[in-house]
Amino acid sequence: MGLRGWAAAMLIATVGIASLFAFQQRRFRFFQDEEDNPAPIPADAHEKTEFVFARLRYLPGPYARRYYSSWPTDYPKADRQFLQGVRRLTRIHARSMEEVVDLDSDEIFKWPWIYAVETGHWSLTDPQASRLREYLLKGGFLMTDDFHGTYEWEVFMESMQKVFPDRPVEEIDSADPIFHVLYDLSERVQVPGIQYFYSGRPWERDGVEPHWRGIYDDKRRVMVAICYNQDNGDAWEWADHPRYPEKYASQAYRVGINYIIYAMTH
Amino acid sequence: MFEWLFKYPAAVFSKGEFVLLSAWPAWVLAGAILAAGAALAWHVLRTRAPLEGWRRAAVWLMQAGALALILVLLWRPALSVATLRPQQNIVAVMVDDSRSMGLAENGETRLQQALKALDGGLAAELRKKFQVRLYRFGKDAERVDTTTRLSGTQSASRIGESLKQVLADASGLPLGAVVLLSDGADNSGGIDRETTAQIRQRRIPVHTAGFGKERLERDIELAEAAVPARTLAGSRLSAEVTLRQFGYSQRRTRIRIKDGERVLASREVTLKADGAPQTETVAFQAGAGGAHTLQVAVDALDGEENTANNALTRLISVDSAKPRVLYIEGEPRWEFKFIRRAIEEDTGVELVTMLRTTQNQIYRQGISAPAELEQGFPSRPEELFAYQGLIVGDVEVSYFTPAQREMIREFANRRGGGVLFLAGRAGLSGGGYQNSPLAEMLPVRLADSKSTFHREEAAVRLTPMGSLSLLCRLEEDQEQNAARWKKMPLLADYQETGELKPGAVALLEVAPAGRRPGPLLAIENYGRGRTFLFASSGSWRWQMLQPLEDKTHEIFWQQMLRWLVAGTPGQVAATTPKPVLSDESEAVIRAEVRNKAFEAVPDARVEARIVGPDGQAAGLELTPDPQEQGVYTARWTADRPGSFLAEIVARAGEEEIGRDVVMFRREDGVAESFRTVQNRELLEKLAEQTGGRYYRPGTLAKLPQEISYSEAGITTRETRDLWDMPAVFLLLIALRGGEWVLRRKWGVV
Repeated sequence: MGLRGWAAAMLIATVGIASLFAFQQRRFRFFQDEEDNPAPIPADAHEKTEFVFARLRYLPGPYARRYYSSWPTDYPKADRQFLQGVRRLTRIHARSMEEVVDLDSDEIFKWPWIYAVETGHWSLTDPQASRLREYLLKGGFLMTDDFHGTYEWEVFMESMQKVFPDRPVEEIDSADPIFHVLYDLSERVQVPGIQYFYSGRPWERDGVEPHWRGIYDDKRRVMVAICYNQDNGDAWEWADHPRYPEKYASQAYRVGINYIIYAMTH
Repeated sequence: MFEWLFKYPAAVFSKGEFVLLSAWPAWVLAGAILAAGAALAWHVLRTRAPLEGWRRAAVWLMQAGALALILVLLWRPALSVATLRPQQNIVAVMVDDSRSMGLAENGETRLQQALKALDGGLAAELRKKFQVRLYRFGKDAERVDTTTRLSGTQSASRIGESLKQVLADASGLPLGAVVLLSDGADNSGGIDRETTAQIRQRRIPVHTAGFGKERLERDIELAEAAVPARTLAGSRLSAEVTLRQFGYSQRRTRIRIKDGERVLASREVTLKADGAPQTETVAFQAGAGGAHTLQVAVDALDGEENTANNALTRLISVDSAKPRVLYIEGEPRWEFKFIRRAIEEDTGVELVTMLRTTQNQIYRQGISAPAELEQGFPSRPEELFAYQGLIVGDVEVSYFTPAQREMIREFANRRGGGVLFLAGRAGLSGGGYQNSPLAEMLPVRLADSKSTFHREEAAVRLTPMGSLSLLCRLEEDQEQNAARWKKMPLLADYQETGELKPGAVALLEVAPAGRRPGPLLAIENYGRGRTFLFASSGSWRWQMLQPLEDKTHEIFWQQMLRWLVAGTPGQVAATTPKPVLSDESEAVIRAEVRNKAFEAVPDARVEARIVGPDGQAAGLELTPDPQEQGVYTARWTADRPGSFLAEIVARAGEEEIGRDVVMFRREDGVAESFRTVQNRELLEKLAEQTGGRYYRPGTLAKLPQEISYSEAGITTRETRDLWDMPAVFLLLIALRGGEWVLRRKWGVV
């Protein structure tokens, strides 16, 4: 093979490898610029699995700081670290890497579980709220987490009421199957965020009382599980930190797993 | 013409035995023919005639044929035939006196035509040679002295039963032949083998004479309406309605299914070619639990000659009990959740699930008591067989003990339940099912490979069988249904399964991009039960990717589970071979009795309580069938027309084993309005099978002569020479003349 031949072969190989890499990258939506706490991409991130942890990417709320976006809070470390627990503790065939989804296309309907964080800062447009309503009524499940106090509740509800203007938000009874589907979670504590390291307080703002709230469908199945005045995402993210108390991390994992199994059984 | 050529009637040839009357044995004749043929061949070859190849062969053939014919005639060929001795035999003349014989055609009823033939010479000719016994028949045969007692008013024709009665009546007499004048419109289900065998054994030829049009000018007949005998409350059912029409091709009419005055379903159909059976499917809802009498009818069209054959009655027993289906799932899956949700909306089936959430934890849903499935998958047949259906999800086969695997097999085979296998990474071949006893019960031959489950999107296709099946019916109209399946969202995954087994049917196919389509939904009967295969765990996309108001996913899975349990019998399963007794009164009730492990119970006390149309109840005990263990039977006389409901209860000592209901209905005078055209096929077949002949009214004059040739009764054997038949001489002339013509043509005379 002459010089030209070698050059052509190298070119083809380079283009091929680049295309393969591009194809692999395209299978996920990457938001590296917005990552809150980067984590390595797991070796088996591309495995096709039954369950995928879908993180909701939403627009910032009306009073959010410029350029501030709250959807990727704890992303992606919390997601990937939590998924390690899901894979280790249950028989759920779960992907090791999350999927970032939004409410701007019907692609959302392929991911029957979504997790939304800091929903005290979200803002849903009318079409997004309508799509979320359809998604939930068809059988999709939404877990919201990490928002605190009166103000953030109001912001949360402003969008949530666009989704379900006629369905109340209720405290989930401790006897509800969602707290017993795998782990028995009759007794629960407030799971604090990382700020607990510095403040020593498990609460933020005026969100002193933790609440596990929900929105139900007509057959009394939880469609939206609302973790208010608590921060399970931080617990997943910092579960490997020596200073983060094990009992909070443990509960956060158990709540998350119960919610997933509930979503896959009810 | 035949008789002119061959000297005797055809009956002589069909009944006679060929003999050679010469004292010389037949082998000498054969030798002589061979020798003559050889000598001629030698002569033809030796002659220096300018004939080549096939021309020589043709000449030899014609010369040898003529010589052989002469030699045969020298051996005196003849027919030995048995004939009835004059005035020593009886001929039974049976005249159909049923109502269909009262139908008028060309100004005369069929009965009038038959009597005209009989009184116009046939009877007199027969009486010259035989003693004639006249019978009229309808439901039964009755001997009459004169034809004036025939009126064409009997409510049914039972040809087979009537023939048996005539044979019994003449059992000690020299009955030489039977002449049956009828339109063949039998409404007892035809002539059974036993009757035919009895006639053949006595060598009595039955000569049949057919009256009536072989087709009506303008008529629609509802030939059959097949409806399941029992179903679950609220189920969607289908009636397979078979029509036959004359004179209305391409016209439109409507099939209706009514429960009392309530129309359950109706469907417009376009009538096909004249005389061709046309089967249409009409879907309808079974309604609430209880006994239902349905009327399946087709609207009459203008000018129809007979509208009494436009409707049929069918009985259906709708079970309001809620069958229970056990679903075992090996890991949390979206399919599990969405199947559960679909069934939660169905009031007719109860789904009990056990899901392995972790290695050590099973999550149970739909259980009726805390102890249900507490120890995991049932380990005793009594426990598993309490369910009517079973779904095996993504569970590796090694999860089950060998005894549990055998129980799953017996769940379909012995218990008669439905078993559905779902796809999954640990399901089917992925879970090692191909090397287990459970492979035998699957409707496909599983591939011997682990990597058969693919999490790739795949399209679904309705197969031709699927388009006919109600299981895949999302829309009432077949075309709309097919169009809806074409628009179905892609499945999230699929599993390669291997080929269908013989007897299995694929209703849906999965068509992955760039791969060969394979079975998606396959079903087959296995033992007393049924097995199903659904080779995907991604049908939940049909729920999530279609509009909220779309009910495809729910309908499909509800129908699937209803099919799974629809035929599952209880411990006592009662049936009757004839749910509709047409002009009959005797009903047969059969009950299979099994214990909780579904083994036959041979020593049960089985009683029936039968409620008649007037609401009066009567008791009846069923006795064990010596042929089949655990089967009990009884006969019951339905003394009046109407619907009867029998509740059968089986007990072992004082303990009740189970109970079941069966319905039957007696209808008088209805069947006679059906199949009113002449059933020539039946009459011809009867004549052929018994050594008789079928006659049309125009050829009946030959009957008195031909009827003599019979081996029944008192006979004498006669020998009829054949050498002097005109046909023989004509053949001889043809052979010699043909040779001469050919030689002239070839210029070698």
